[in-house]
Amino acid sequence: MKKYLIATTLLLGLGAAGIALADDNDCRVPMADWQPRGAVQQMAEAQGWTVRRIKTDDGCYEIKGRDASGREIEVKVDPATLAVVKFEYEDDDDDDDYRGRGNAAPAGSGKPPANGLFTPGTAPVVQQ
Amino acid sequence: MKTLLSTLALTTALTVPALAIAKPVTLTANMNQYGGDGAYLALYVTDAQGTYMGSLWMAGGKSKYYEHLSDWYRATGGNTAEINGITGASVGAGRELKITLDLADALFDAGYELHIDASVEDMRDSPSEVVVPLTTKGAGQPVAGRRYIRDFTYDM
Repeated sequence: MKKYLIATTLLLGLGAAGIALADDNDCRVPMADWQPRGAVQQMAEAQGWTVRRIKTDDGCYEIKGRDASGREIEVKVDPATLAVVKFEYEDDDDDDDYRGRGNAAPAGSGKPPANGLFTPGTAPVVQQ
Repeated sequence: MKTLLSTLALTTALTVPALAIAKPVTLTANMNQYGGDGAYLALYVTDAQGTYMGSLWMAGGKSKYYEHLSDWYRATGGNTAEINGITGASVGAGRELKITLDLADALFDAGYELHIDASVEDMRDSPSEVVVPLTTKGAGQPVAGRRYIRDFTYDM
């Protein structure tokens, strides 16, 4: 009897774990521990970001706006600690492997690298 | 102070002529009708031993595809700082990419090579699709690519 009870408990436990895994929330914080929206705004401004919108998504706060250099960003933060959970550039459609890693500045928008191959300060002229 | 001055004089003497001696060079790549999406092309220079010296142009804006330009990626670790300000659109099948830039004279007739890595979505990667020694004699001579580039020429 005891054996069955242990087995059933184990199975139930596994089932619960399965349910927990199926839950696709990125953050799991009880509502009581959530910091106010104002704190998220402050944290974003401290990073130099311009906030367009703050909403909740997948159990996290989600900030939409621009980073200090003006690139569109979407950042998920932990509602309790305000730590960054996910950082994406909106102009970059990378979803998985390249989080937080941006594309290169297109020609004309930044200084070419001083790699000694071409005259510094001269940008290549392209026709295509 | 004296040391500083002489160091300054020396470094200026060494760098200024290198900067001054550069000439406009036009790089032209004509693409094959390979029947696929726009090709990503990395144009970069290596020395005679194959050591990466720097990039000249990156055709293709999304960094997630750069690993398919495998020789360039191996040399740079995919560091986008290498191509900031020298990145443009990918080049379609049958199209032409033409870039004019002030290339250092010291790169010519000194064993340096220009490489082009090419990659097309859902098609085979083609690292070092074109490898051409930079020589004054080689200017204006079209070189065939291996897969996606019909011919490549540098003119000065």
